[in-house]
Amino acid sequence: MNLLHVEGRELPLDKDGYLVELTDWSEETAQALAQREGLSLSAEHWEILQLVRSFYDEFQLSPANRPLVKFVASKLGPEKGNSLNLNRLFNGAPAKLAAKLAGLPKPTNCL
Amino acid sequence: MATLHVLSHSPFTDSRLGSCLRILGSQDALLLCGDAVYALQAGSVQRQALELMPESTALFALDEDVQARGLDLPARLTQVDYCGFVALSCQYDKVNTWL
Amino acid sequence: MSKSLLIISRQAPWSGPSAREALDIALAGGAFDLPVGMLFLDDGVFQLSGAQQPASLQQKDLSANLQALPMFGVEALYVSQRSLEERGLHQSSSSLAVELLNDTALTALIDRYDQVITL
Repeated sequence: MNLLHVEGRELPLDKDGYLVELTDWSEETAQALAQREGLSLSAEHWEILQLVRSFYDEFQLSPANRPLVKFVASKLGPEKGNSLNLNRLFNGAPAKLAAKLAGLPKPTNCL
Repeated sequence: MATLHVLSHSPFTDSRLGSCLRILGSQDALLLCGDAVYALQAGSVQRQALELMPESTALFALDEDVQARGLDLPARLTQVDYCGFVALSCQYDKVNTWL
Repeated sequence: MSKSLLIISRQAPWSGPSAREALDIALAGGAFDLPVGMLFLDDGVFQLSGAQQPASLQQKDLSANLQALPMFGVEALYVSQRSLEERGLHQSSSSLAVELLNDTALTALIDRYDQVITL
């Protein structure tokens, strides 16, 4: 089992690096997860992570790329809610990486 | 866009046959296999409903399932074997299997 | 041009895997930009009822997942008027925006799609 070290705690990760326990998530956890991906979280990232979490709250599932783009566009407008921008922020795999950093299950329906 | 509807569940345990007959298009066809062939049971409401279907609607039953259950085939239905089943699946625009 | 797919979901939400499987096909199709439609027929209309509390059965919340269909691009959502009426249900109690269709309209709907799956 992979472990993520955050503030003296060891949080279990699945084989793809997603948090096993959704309740283990915190902002510090997100930072640590991002570091594993070689990513430093900016305000733009945080905005999307919050949205992905509210998507999960509402629909009880992690969005695939298409619904993620649509959801972000509906909340923040098309300048931010487009594949180009989300690919840029999340290393070309926005649905997978945003769900991972937001502490959500790996999205199904993604290649 | 004629559809071949395929039923395989007994019409005495659920509503597949009833629902299917209601939404069957005039050029569509129905194929009964598995326990769905119990719809041919003599004296049943289901058999009566099938016999009253308009002529334009083609009705088929898989012969081995009919024989295995000791049912007799009304003249209104055409008996097919598995090769016939495959041929029908190709002949219609699409197949809707009521799983 | 991708082939259009109509998914007919006709099982109650908590009786077995069928309702979940039908929804998963719809979400997957939507995620891959396929033209997908979904029809709730027979006991499938019970999936639309609000105020379900599946946590008591320790299952994932199918009704919450259903709400995601439009986000996944699946906006062609239909319900059988007859199935609703038989069960004393009304369109207004549906948790999802669905178009009400009578039996004749259902025949035309199925006709319109390239492929149909009934679960």
